[in-house]
Amino acid sequence: MKGIIFTEFLDLVEDKFGLEMVDTIVSQSKLESEGAYTAIGTYRFSEMLQLLQNLSSHTKISIDDLLLTYAEHFFSVIESSYPGLLATYNDPIEMLASIENHIHVEVRKIYPDAELPTFVVQEKTANSLTMIYKSSRAMHHFGLGLMNKTFEHFNSSAEIMLEKIKEDGTEVKFIIKKNE
Amino acid sequence: MSQEKIDILQRALKREKAARKAAEKILEDKSKELYVLSEELKVSNAKLEASVNEKSSQLEGVFKNINDAYVVIDITGNVIKMNNVAIDFFGYDIAQENFNIVRLIYFKDAEYAFTSFKTLLKEGAFANYTARIITKQKEIKWVQINASLIYDENEKPIAAQGIVRDITALKNLENQKEKILKELEKSNNELYEYAHIVSHDLKSPLRSIDALISWIKMDNEGKLDEPTLQNLTLIEGTLETMEKLISNILEYSSAGSEINETKYVYLDQIMDDVSRLLFVPEHISIKVLKKLPVVKGDSTKFQQLFQNLVSNAIKFNNKDQGIIEIDFVEEPSFYQFSVSDNGIGIEKKFHDRIFKIFHSLNKSKESTGIGLSIVKKIVDLYEGTIWLESEPGEGTTFFFTIKK
Repeated sequence: MKGIIFTEFLDLVEDKFGLEMVDTIVSQSKLESEGAYTAIGTYRFSEMLQLLQNLSSHTKISIDDLLLTYAEHFFSVIESSYPGLLATYNDPIEMLASIENHIHVEVRKIYPDAELPTFVVQEKTANSLTMIYKSSRAMHHFGLGLMNKTFEHFNSSAEIMLEKIKEDGTEVKFIIKKNE
Repeated sequence: MSQEKIDILQRALKREKAARKAAEKILEDKSKELYVLSEELKVSNAKLEASVNEKSSQLEGVFKNINDAYVVIDITGNVIKMNNVAIDFFGYDIAQENFNIVRLIYFKDAEYAFTSFKTLLKEGAFANYTARIITKQKEIKWVQINASLIYDENEKPIAAQGIVRDITALKNLENQKEKILKELEKSNNELYEYAHIVSHDLKSPLRSIDALISWIKMDNEGKLDEPTLQNLTLIEGTLETMEKLISNILEYSSAGSEINETKYVYLDQIMDDVSRLLFVPEHISIKVLKKLPVVKGDSTKFQQLFQNLVSNAIKFNNKDQGIIEIDFVEEPSFYQFSVSDNGIGIEKKFHDRIFKIFHSLNKSKESTGIGLSIVKKIVDLYEGTIWLESEPGEGTTFFFTIKK
């Protein structure tokens, strides 16, 4: 998993819960990296999983909700670091529908070895979109957070429903309806 | 600050340092990787440049060494590149003046030139455009041009290149040849007509002599002695031979004329006609061994051919039962015919001579020595050959071939 996911995550934890919480979850996790992350490095996904689980047990917030909040924070990272990418779109549905064919292509130019989830578009109208999320990481709520922020970015909102196709969350259907 | 807080901060600091070092290491590795990559790129760039240089110098060589005029024009016809051959040939030099190829167009071929240029733009190329041009020195030259469009990287035509060959000399030769052929045809026709007139003019005094002799015989009936009568008969015979000779010469002179008609000739029919036309004595039988083929050509000539051979076979037969057989074999590119008889035969030493005009081996009034030369002439006309096999006293077989 790319280092930027770790550094931004720990920054957010520090922001919301203080440096003590960062220290606690890092010390309680068995980390090969010993918690020393740099945005340009690559680390095991299991490290993220441990950090999330420890944070969840200390804060009593579910992992899904943590991921949702983190994703909303992460969108601002995208906004400030890659404004050009967002500027190529003027509609949230269009942007989400092109995750696979455009956004992930751009991501791979910067991070050639990135392991990305797939988003297969099943149905698309001007105001609705159905996509199937597939990833062994089961980070669908991270996706959900990014989607919420995407609508916000374009000054609109949407009802987004998640249907788990697989119980472990590695395959999830996103049903997105843009609010008129 | 509590000790606990200090410890937390120290641990955080330690992590930050470790992260910084890791980042520095990653960046070092990356820059090393980039350095290696850029070195590789430099090498392959140098290779590419060398190969481009090599190709351009090859092209430059072709451009200079080609024996034909080579020009490159823009889409409006302005010449933007030309080799020395082109400068010498057209008389224009783009180093000295602007030169649009429209200036080369000879007014009589203008329409053809513009249609061809349209073809070039539409199809991307044209080949063997043959027309006249007018050079700066106002000379009219015949040229043959092959041209094609040059495209930019977006497949848009930006120029055209053409190789212009000077075919003036060739064209002149062609014209000369045509003229000579026409003259030849004319003089052939004149000769044929001349032969006609001459034969007519020659025959009429013969007829007069013949008439005069019969008058002498009538006027002096009972008065002439036997030797005189015999001499008069000999004169009549000679006159007949003379007339036949003249007719045959005329036939011979027309035998070699070109094959005007190329129709299907049914040789079976021709042989029927020949048997009917000739006087075939009762003791001689003519056998056609198998159905003769259909060939292409002039039926009159084929009739002459068979008539001459068969009439020779009849004439020179001394057997009680004369047999004449006509046969053929088919080969991939020609037919080989044979006319054989059981007549007097021809000695080996005369085999070549008999085809020459006026070489009759037997001095008789029926034989003028022209028949076989007509046969030879016709066989030559159909790109065939003629030869014979013969046993004196036993018979003769003539073979000849006719190209399919």
